Amino acid sequence: MSETSGPEGDDASVIARSLHEPEAFAEVFRRHAPDITRYVTRRLGEDAADDVAAETFLAAFRQRNSYDLARPNARPWLYGIATNLMSRHVRAEVRQLRVVERTGADPVTASFAERSDERVSAEAARRSLAGALAALPEGQRDTLLLVAWAGLSYPETAEALGVRLGTVRSRVNRARLRLRKALGAYDPMATVSEEPVYE
Amino acid sequence: MNEMTQLERFRSEIPRPGLDDLRGQQDRLLAAIADPTPKGPARRPRVPGRLRLGLAAGLVAVAASAAAVAVLTPGASAPTVIHTMPASAEEVLTTAARRVEEFPELRPRPGQFLVFESRTMDPAEVNDAAGHHRYLSRSERKVWLPVEGDSTGGFIESQALDPRPYPGWPIPSHAVASPGRSGPEKLADFDQRAEHLRTDYAYLSRLPTQPERMYRHLYTGLGSGPEADAEAWNRVGGMLAEAYLPRAQRAALFRAAAAIRGVTTVDSAVDAAGRTGVAAARANPGRGIQEEYIFDPSTYRYLGRRSVVSDAAAAQAPLGTVLTSSALLKVTVADQPPEVAGQ
Repeated sequence: MSETSGPEGDDASVIARSLHEPEAFAEVFRRHAPDITRYVTRRLGEDAADDVAAETFLAAFRQRNSYDLARPNARPWLYGIATNLMSRHVRAEVRQLRVVERTGADPVTASFAERSDERVSAEAARRSLAGALAALPEGQRDTLLLVAWAGLSYPETAEALGVRLGTVRSRVNRARLRLRKALGAYDPMATVSEEPVYE
Repeated sequence: MNEMTQLERFRSEIPRPGLDDLRGQQDRLLAAIADPTPKGPARRPRVPGRLRLGLAAGLVAVAASAAAVAVLTPGASAPTVIHTMPASAEEVLTTAARRVEEFPELRPRPGQFLVFESRTMDPAEVNDAAGHHRYLSRSERKVWLPVEGDSTGGFIESQALDPRPYPGWPIPSHAVASPGRSGPEKLADFDQRAEHLRTDYAYLSRLPTQPERMYRHLYTGLGSGPEADAEAWNRVGGMLAEAYLPRAQRAALFRAAAAIRGVTTVDSAVDAAGRTGVAAARANPGRGIQEEYIFDPSTYRYLGRRSVVSDAAAAQAPLGTVLTSSALLKVTVADQPPEVAGQ
């Protein structure tokens, strides 16, 4: 988890200070760049991620005047900016997911060490999952991955995407249903939980 | 294993990078911080319609009260903005400019340090296991800055003072008990300010002594409009707080600052050391605060600065709240930097 509070105060304090001391904004980068970069890498792969993550902090720095200082934690704001920037890469993201679905080989993780034990056993599930993610409407994919990969709460996700809490709930529910179907465990009688389940 | 667990495992081998792996990204951000001039066509300064028409018709546009004239050069997509100093001037700064001769002049030499002793107050916000707290943290600081070179060659020693309450918030107990003295230690690990934002003595003493040219210096890289004026006003503060200008440049700076649009006079303003003075101020409507530079009411020596809430909704604090303040207590010259522990 990234630090959102330190000797220099929470993110809002740091951003407030950066309005008259721009150098202070580097602290926002130190706190959040590792998580944001990992998240973007997981969606787009290393090459695009480096650029998108860098652009995220440049855009955040330029928009810092409009940051709502009543929000102590800048994570939702930063993930929202990153999500916007990633939407330019939606075709590349889907294409790479389709490669996983078709071949089982993942261009996104190719440059990282494999955890082969899990890979082999879960090969079929991974391919179905990738196919289902590729088929999701963009808004559902953004919402689901902010919850599952970025670890944002539902209210934080709503804030990041600028949508209502109810929209986040229904998008997550619909997306989960589609994933469950794709994974072959679809039970038409099962009810869809409103809460994210972490096991 | 349900679909959320499957999803969490998918691509989970991608590691969380360390800050060392993100040098490239960090450098891009630091470069933007050092030179915040917006780039690209989307953010170029807008040319007022009337002016654009005038130029298109081949007329010479003379804007009597406008501080900025946009000039369209053939073939260039973005207009160059030439900043012409307006004639109107704020009184406190003009008086301060006239009276710079009355103070003894420091003449630091290369290799020496300028030593600034000041008192500061800044809002602090902490949100941790102990709860959500807001207070005004105060400290006394002594900063050594090299006569030539950036702040990475500087040193700082500071002493925490009792915090003050933020209106409507109790002071958290850990704020009162926070560590007292720190340093002397290195002031900064990086300083990538653009050349035109340098505030070391060697650089400041090479700045123009004519107010019109100093005015242009304050607007280096800026477009026109309230945001540019706010940034120019902010740069004035950067040259006053922990910086020392030779007399001629100081007078030029005060006259140039007096001409920035939107600058007004405040009859009574108190600095972080409790000294009451007169101030030149500029409201920053976007942030709902007014930035004030305070001067001694009889000698017109620079005392300090403060920011005061001028729009409760935008600043999210009661009208009139002082959010930040500082007081410059003493400026001296030293031959040596302080002894730093552990070196």
